[in-house]
Amino acid sequence: MATNGGDEPPILLAVRNLRKYFPVRGGLLSTHIGDVHAVDGISFDVRAGRTVGLVGESGCGKTTTGRVVLRLIEPSSGHVFYRPSAEQFDRLNQLYADLDVAARSGGNGASAPAGVLRELDQIATKSSIFRKRRSQMRTLRGKMQIVFQDPFSSLSPRLTIREIVREPLEIHKAGTRAERNQRVQDLMTSVGLNPEHLWRFPHEFSGGQRQRIGIARALALRPDFVVLDEPTSALDVSVQAQILNILKRLQQEENLAYLFISHHLSVVRAMAHDVVVMYLGQVVERAPTEELFTRPLHPYTQALLASIPIPDPTVKRERIVLSGEVPSPVAPPSGCRFHTRCPAVMPVCRRVEPRLQPSPQHPGHFVSCHLYHTPDEPADAPLGSGALAVPPAAS
Amino acid sequence: MSASASFPSQSPLPEPEAEAPAALDVAGAATSSPDVVLDVRGLKTYFYTYDGVVRALDGVNLKIRRGETLGLVGETGCGKSVTAFSITRLIPDPPGRIMEGRVLLRGSDLLWGLDKEARFKEVGKTGRYKIRRSYRRIQEAQRRMMAVRGSLISTIFQEPMLALNPVFRVWDQIGESLTLHRLPPTIDAMLAASTAAPELPEAVDRLVDAALHKDLPRIRAVSKEIGQLTGLPSLATEMFYAVRNPNLVGTEAIGREVQRCLRRVPLSGLQRSYLQRRRRIAELDQTLRRIYMTEMKEGKPDRRGRGFARARRRAVELGSLGYRLPGIRRHVKRPLDSELFWQAVGLLESVSIASPAQVASSYPHELSGGMLQRVMIAMALASDPEILIADEPTTALDVTIQAQILELMRALKSRVGTAILLITHDLGVIAEVADRVSVMYAGRMIETAPVRELFANPLHPYTQGLLASIPRVDDPNKKLESIPGSVPNLISPPPGCRFHPRCPHAMPICKEQVPPTTVEAPSHTVACFLYHGVEDRN
Repeated sequence: MATNGGDEPPILLAVRNLRKYFPVRGGLLSTHIGDVHAVDGISFDVRAGRTVGLVGESGCGKTTTGRVVLRLIEPSSGHVFYRPSAEQFDRLNQLYADLDVAARSGGNGASAPAGVLRELDQIATKSSIFRKRRSQMRTLRGKMQIVFQDPFSSLSPRLTIREIVREPLEIHKAGTRAERNQRVQDLMTSVGLNPEHLWRFPHEFSGGQRQRIGIARALALRPDFVVLDEPTSALDVSVQAQILNILKRLQQEENLAYLFISHHLSVVRAMAHDVVVMYLGQVVERAPTEELFTRPLHPYTQALLASIPIPDPTVKRERIVLSGEVPSPVAPPSGCRFHTRCPAVMPVCRRVEPRLQPSPQHPGHFVSCHLYHTPDEPADAPLGSGALAVPPAAS
Repeated sequence: MSASASFPSQSPLPEPEAEAPAALDVAGAATSSPDVVLDVRGLKTYFYTYDGVVRALDGVNLKIRRGETLGLVGETGCGKSVTAFSITRLIPDPPGRIMEGRVLLRGSDLLWGLDKEARFKEVGKTGRYKIRRSYRRIQEAQRRMMAVRGSLISTIFQEPMLALNPVFRVWDQIGESLTLHRLPPTIDAMLAASTAAPELPEAVDRLVDAALHKDLPRIRAVSKEIGQLTGLPSLATEMFYAVRNPNLVGTEAIGREVQRCLRRVPLSGLQRSYLQRRRRIAELDQTLRRIYMTEMKEGKPDRRGRGFARARRRAVELGSLGYRLPGIRRHVKRPLDSELFWQAVGLLESVSIASPAQVASSYPHELSGGMLQRVMIAMALASDPEILIADEPTTALDVTIQAQILELMRALKSRVGTAILLITHDLGVIAEVADRVSVMYAGRMIETAPVRELFANPLHPYTQGLLASIPRVDDPNKKLESIPGSVPNLISPPPGCRFHPRCPHAMPICKEQVPPTTVEAPSHTVACFLYHGVEDRN
């Protein structure tokens, strides 16, 4: 894994092995009959002032990820490290690599070396947001904010715009009354709204204007990390461009880091520095934006890119139309979760779950697919079943 | 909110000087070329609300030729969906009213008699209007539209979940469409079908043999042949899915299945007489529709014909009362239901659903959005319509599913040859599917061109802005331009060109006059003062 180089901005968030299962209850006594594997072991980093794009189809766990990262929902397991120091971050990567090796050789987590677990626990107590107490979490919330998808339901209809934008400042007791009002004024101008709008109510605004209000509210406390949960999917294209341009400008002015959640790949390409592609709760591919869009490796990413309609009738390109639909996250398919729809499926895909590994050509490009990595057989797999005879097909 | 203060003193009635409606010439229908399936001229739809009159459509013109896909693009609230609803006259009235215009469907004016349906009277000088509607005439118009909706113009809506009835199975809902539009031929086939063909036993043997070898193409071919021999095409579908079942092993089991399918062909006397009466009712219904269509074509009422048909229909309805006893009804309805079920399966097959029999017997909530949209398409195509209106058919779907549906629409386009009016806000979808594009802004058509021409050479500043504001997945370095401001309020739209407050090239004249639609290049029309082409006289 790439270390924290001198030219790269510092790590703001390190998400590690994050899981969120929602219990499914049913049957006679509404007992626990299964889990929705909404987010199933995902890891990525967000650097200060950079944008990470989170892409996937509906139901793949994008929104859940965004909420768990902010601790709006408690995770089932995993950690989000907030502002780990460079040494901590390097150590973390080392420890997780050790855990991974142990898990693969031992078969289950119980045999993981106790020392590794203890050290991980120590780092987590220091910087994982899930170990923070209520009061600590509250101060942290000022640094981590969210802009919601639906600008119509995320603003209280009973408050004026001024009250909506000022509310975070009041909760966090930021500055004097005059300073708060000044801050609200400044925010309004910086998101391109007229200060005279302050006395109006949300229903008097169009979708684009409401989304600007949502952005102003999120930025009120000068956060350094903002989750943008499909901020433009409810808007028209001409307004979408306005919002995207505002977001870009604010990022440069305030050195904001974004987690940009979207199902719209073209928007992500315009906004993100790094892209994480999710499928059924797992990361299938992760790479710097240019790398991902020019050389998509995972068949799912390739299909996703090919299925976006390009607004240019002269462009002719290869069409990959995936068959079928996303399987249920309650009982995800065995092996690679994409194997039921994959155009390049191999027998090994049905049995062995691929791991997210760096691609041989580009170390910053992570892909989770047997096409690129020799599948490692679980230790308890019966030998001589022919699985090892399957060569890793080069693409 | 006090609305009365800010009322514009404009009349809600279309101003007579605004674009002389070309529709008024009597020979209007004859002048349009025979290829034009749908010709909309000067369509105006207003909504009378407490806040004032919303001029949702203000003189919309569009033409769709046979087999063509016309894309209709625009932002939210620009009147795309109102156009679709006005064409099928599904505008809720009140508050909406189609004010004027002509919707010519193969020469029949669907808006015939519009001027007699309501009278407008201004209340003092408040800007409010009192509308006196003639409900008898509106009802009559709605009855006429029953002849058009679903059979000549089908619509696919944006939210398939809301468009399907949650308490009926899928086949039932497709079957309803078939009952309404295709019943006489279906019943004819059922009555004529027989198992007496001398080649039939031999074909059955071959089918059993093919099923034993699990040879799908051969099963398909032989079952189709049996369908032809018995004269009942849906039987082919039924047999195919009956013997295809992988759990079916052994000659006897397969033979039993085939015989079970064949058993539904011969009908009992009671069933026959029920079907004959159903057919008569359906036929009268279609006669009535033909009369309505002729009325709309000729523009004058056909009193004698309608009264005649109504009396006949009533008589037959009374005559069928005898079959409404529960036990008999179930007995006699059964063959028709299974016929409709297998026809529905055949239709679902044609929209590339992998397990159509299973989907046909599910309820809508059991299916995913993409599957439901396919069901909607199957239902819309069941009646072989002249025009398919697709109102944002893929907006609620994921990209990979959207790609599947677009692929399906492209395939259907080349196979069925139905003209499509594709309404969407996604220029990418337009670029992939449409042949021609019309761009709408604030209730007016501002530019129409063939798809390549429009993307290569957009003329109207709004179209240019729209194209510049889309992020491109294949071009990351493109700078996103945005159009300043937002869509105007249609209660008091800007005077003159409605785009002028947001237009980078606005001139003084733009504020004063409505720009005429001019022809700039072959089949490229634009409504903007920047250009000086020949005025489009339709």
